[in-house]
Amino acid sequence: MTGAPMDDNWIRRLNTLQLIVAGVIIMAPVVWMALSSFKPSFEVTAYPPTLLFSPTAENYAQLFKTTPFFSYGVNSLIVTLGSAGLGLLFGIPAAFAVSWTRISWPAILTLAARMAPGTLFLLPWYVMFRQVGMIGSYTALILSHAVITLPIVIWVLLPSFDNIPRSVFEAAQVDGCSVTRILWRIALPLVGSGIAVAAILAFVFSWNYFLFALVLSNGDSKTLIAAAFNFVGEGSTQWGVLMAAATLIALPPLVLAALVQRWLVSGLTLGAVKG
Amino acid sequence: MSGTADTLTPDRQRLELGALSAPAVLFTVGMIAFPLLYTIWLSFQSFSSTGRQSFAGLANYTRLVGDNEFWHGLWVTLALYVLSLVLQLVFGVWLALVLFHAKRLPGVVRSLFISPFMMPPVVAGMMWLVILDPSLGAANYILTSFGLPPSDWLASPSWVIPTVALIDTWQWTPYVALIVLGGLQSLPPSVYEAAQIDGASGFKTFQRITLPLLLPTIVTATILRSVDLLRFFDIIYITTQGGPGNASNTLNIYGFRVGFEFFNIGYASALMLTLTAIVFGVVLAFNRLRGAVAW
Repeated sequence: MTGAPMDDNWIRRLNTLQLIVAGVIIMAPVVWMALSSFKPSFEVTAYPPTLLFSPTAENYAQLFKTTPFFSYGVNSLIVTLGSAGLGLLFGIPAAFAVSWTRISWPAILTLAARMAPGTLFLLPWYVMFRQVGMIGSYTALILSHAVITLPIVIWVLLPSFDNIPRSVFEAAQVDGCSVTRILWRIALPLVGSGIAVAAILAFVFSWNYFLFALVLSNGDSKTLIAAAFNFVGEGSTQWGVLMAAATLIALPPLVLAALVQRWLVSGLTLGAVKG
Repeated sequence: MSGTADTLTPDRQRLELGALSAPAVLFTVGMIAFPLLYTIWLSFQSFSSTGRQSFAGLANYTRLVGDNEFWHGLWVTLALYVLSLVLQLVFGVWLALVLFHAKRLPGVVRSLFISPFMMPPVVAGMMWLVILDPSLGAANYILTSFGLPPSDWLASPSWVIPTVALIDTWQWTPYVALIVLGGLQSLPPSVYEAAQIDGASGFKTFQRITLPLLLPTIVTATILRSVDLLRFFDIIYITTQGGPGNASNTLNIYGFRVGFEFFNIGYASALMLTLTAIVFGVVLAFNRLRGAVAW
């Protein structure tokens, strides 16, 4: 029996060691990307690669000077906020109705959009938007990205609405509240954290989405993600600038996700796991 | 109080509930269902180089059967799918067990572990493009300093698929791990107590008890990853655009290029409908399996 606590200790140490190994593998590339973005241009392609260097912001300065990075960023924000907003506007009442009636086909319908390859929709959208001269418009981009945000909002909020005891609604009904009134006055305040998670996940996945903007945006409405493709082509010799762009593009979703990490897990699996 | 009575009628209530889900349903029909029907119609059309379209019957589908590039794309898609999925499931279950035994996870650690799949896949592609550069990249420096031969990674036709699979595995293993961790945390502690009384070893407990009980969760993770992996696009498009040559030309990349680089919308529609059928087929099959392994 005396050996047992020591065994336990060893197992715990071994586990911590594995945790550290996993952490290093996960974080090293990200750290390397951020470090490279602060390296002077002659050092970023140095071989062997250097870990110690005097950091500089010249890559960032050059990025903003040689590319319309700022206006791409504004485009990304407009499309992301617009599509997340549209997803919430349509998704909140739909999730509530599905939770109330237990009729789930509207939720499953939006999920089908999450499963099909984006190119499948992009082909007819391209033909249709071109006919009405909407290629390159914010409207076309926001509508297409709302296809990504709507199922996220609905499936993140469904379990939150399901968790509200039915008796709360029944009491309100006895008092003569309409369904819509129950949603706005009673249900919404109770699912505040669910809405925060839904909004942030909608933002992150809309911000990260590549394919639609690649075809539906033009020079004026290009989003950061779509522009990243051009950075790779132009930046083949300027790794520092390329890594500065990559770091800045990754920053908004990473910061937002870190804010709500505790509640993200069940949302990320579209309700498949109650975390 | 007749107004109150009105609001309580079931008809009125049903109407209100319908109105609440109407915007989402109409939006989905307008953006998904109608365009899907339009794609089906487009797949029976042919487009000339001047943009004139005419009815082509099944020509796009017969062309697909005889198109070597389609079969190659299918092979690339499936190879990348199986390789990435196996890697992510194996490492994901391992990481989940490690995280589970760590008991308390500080928020910082959790943020750290979700950061790969919260960053845009496009950024992951840019990042690894620099790290895996054949001549100046850090990866080859590390390999050679351990006395291992360097690789051409994304620039090598034979290595590009495993390399892309590795990048995707780096990005999505933590996601699989979090799903499996959720499954682990919901297992009843009593099953372990029974195993302990029987004196089962750690590995045996995992093999005989934990793994079978985790199967439904693992199948869920498999479904969620299958949907993304079968339509692999972002990382490949940003790093290789399907190259070198056509070595990483997945069906989704091929269909995209046929549609938006060669503007053969009809044939691209046929390709994408075929890929969609494959995705839904795989999802339905795994969904059945999930029913079979449920407990």
